Amino acid sequence: MGELWGVLEEHLPEFASGLWVTFRLVAASFLIAMVVGTAVAALRVAPARWLNRIGGVYVETFRNVPLLVLLIIMFAGIRRGGIAIDPWVAGIASLGLYTAAYIAEALRSGVFAVGKGQIDAALSLGLTYGRTMRRIVLPQAVRTVIPALSSLVIAMIKNSAIVGASLVALPDLLKSARQVQADTFQTTEVFFWAAIGYLLLTVTATLVFRHLENTYTIKR
Amino acid sequence: MECKPRWLLIAIAVATLFASLALTACGSDDEEAEDSAEAPDVAVEEFPADTTMGAIQEAGEMNIGVKFDVPPFGFNNPQSGEVEGFDVDLGRYIAARLGVEPVFREANSDNRIPLLVDGTIDLILSTMTITEERDLEIDFSEPYYVANGDVLVPSGSDIQALDDLNGNRVCTALGSTYQETIKEEAPDADLRLVDLYSQCLELIQTDAVDAVSTDNVILTGMVIQDETLELLGLNYTEEPYGAGIPDGDTEFKEFVDESVQQYIDDGTWEASYEEWVGQYIPEDQQQGPPDITLEEALKLFPL
Repeated sequence: MGELWGVLEEHLPEFASGLWVTFRLVAASFLIAMVVGTAVAALRVAPARWLNRIGGVYVETFRNVPLLVLLIIMFAGIRRGGIAIDPWVAGIASLGLYTAAYIAEALRSGVFAVGKGQIDAALSLGLTYGRTMRRIVLPQAVRTVIPALSSLVIAMIKNSAIVGASLVALPDLLKSARQVQADTFQTTEVFFWAAIGYLLLTVTATLVFRHLENTYTIKR
Repeated sequence: MECKPRWLLIAIAVATLFASLALTACGSDDEEAEDSAEAPDVAVEEFPADTTMGAIQEAGEMNIGVKFDVPPFGFNNPQSGEVEGFDVDLGRYIAARLGVEPVFREANSDNRIPLLVDGTIDLILSTMTITEERDLEIDFSEPYYVANGDVLVPSGSDIQALDDLNGNRVCTALGSTYQETIKEEAPDADLRLVDLYSQCLELIQTDAVDAVSTDNVILTGMVIQDETLELLGLNYTEEPYGAGIPDGDTEFKEFVDESVQQYIDDGTWEASYEEWVGQYIPEDQQQGPPDITLEEALKLFPL
C-alpha cells in the first residue's frame, strides 16, 4: 500500500499533466464528434438519395477503418503528402471523426424512432425540411439516444489511449504512465493510477449523461 | 469430489481450445522468427538439467529478445524474411554453444525487461545500455559493445550542439536511457517518446520532429536508410550494452559472460562488427571490443 501512494505522490505532476492532455483531447474530439455526427446523421435521413449516399460513405469509411490506421493516415500520411499537420490536430481529428461515425448511426436510429407522421405533419404545415429536423425531429431523437451516446463517449475516452500510444505520440495519461513505469519499473502501481485517471473521466461522463437522461428523457 | 460440476470440464475444454488457437496464431505471426541461418561453428557443452542452460537444451530452443526495427543491431530484413544484425549474431553464437536453435522475438526498449521477467524470453540482446536501475530488475552480462549517445538531424539543420535541442522537438524511445539523459542535458527540449526507433525515423522524415537522439549505432542505421539525414558526432554519453539475464541466475550469467568473452577472443566479434558497423563508418571512428567491465559500466548510469 505504501508503495502505491508513494508512486502517486512522487509522480503526481506527470500523472496530472497526462490526465490534462487526455481531458483536452477527449473534450475537443467530443465537440467534433457531435457536430460532424449530427451533420452526417442529417445527411443519412435527408429526403434526397444522393445525400443519404454521402452520409453512408462517411459512416462506412470512418467506422470500418481501425482507429490506429486512421491515426497513421491522418498524421504520417498527411505529413508525407507535404502538409505539416500538428499532432494535436491529427489526434483530435482522427478520434473526433471516428467517433462521429458511431454518433451519426446512433442519432439516425433516434430519428427513425420519431414517427414519420410527425415529419409529414410538420412538412404539410409548411415547415422546411431543415426546420422540421431542427425543431421537431432532432430534439426527440437526441433524447432517445442519450443512453447510446453515453456508451459512445465512454468508448471514446478509452480510445483516446490509442492516440497517445500511436505515432502521434501526444503525452496523454497512458504515455505519462508508461514514462513513469519506465523510470520506476513499478508496473502494477503505475497502471493502477492510470486506470483511476481514466475512471475519473469515464465516471464523470457517465454522471453527466445520467443527469441529461433524467432531465430530458420522456417519462414513460 | 469426483463429481465436480460438468461446467468445469467444459470450461477447461474451451480454455484449452482457445489456448491452442492462440498458440497456433503465435507460431505464425511476425513477432517471432525461426532462424534458418547456419549455426556458428562452436563446441557444444552439455549442462545439468537443473540449470537454465540445461532447461534450454531440454527445450531445444532459446528465445532471444532482439530489436526488429533497429538496423544494424537487430532488424527484420524484409528481403530475406530473417532477423539480422550484430545483436542477432551474438544471440546465434550463444545458442550454438548450447547446441539449440535460436528463436528471435521482438523486444523493444519498453517491453524487453517485462518479457525477460515473465519468462517469454531467455535472454535480452536488444541494444540495451547497462544501468543500475535496470540492474535492480535483471542481471547484466559483461559489456559486449559500447555505443555513444548522438544526435541525428536533417542535413543543414540549425541544431549543431546538444544545447540547440532546447526548444526543439526531439524523438527518442520510451524506456530508453535517453528519456532521462535528454531531460538533463536539454531541459527545454520538447521530448516526443515513441515505442520504436523506426517511428522516430518516420517522424524526422516527415519533419514532425527536429532531431532524434539515441545511440550512434542506431542513428547510423537511419542514415544508411536515408542519406538526407546526418549525425552530429557529439558522442555525449557512453552506453555499454549488456545482455539481459534473469535476476539472480548466476550460473546463466557466468555462461553468457564466458560466451561473450569467447565471442571476442575467437574473432567472431570483429567479423560481425565489420559486417554490420565497420564498413559503414570511417576507419578512424571504428572501435574494437569493449574494454570496460560491468562494474565500471554500472557506474555510468547510477540510480
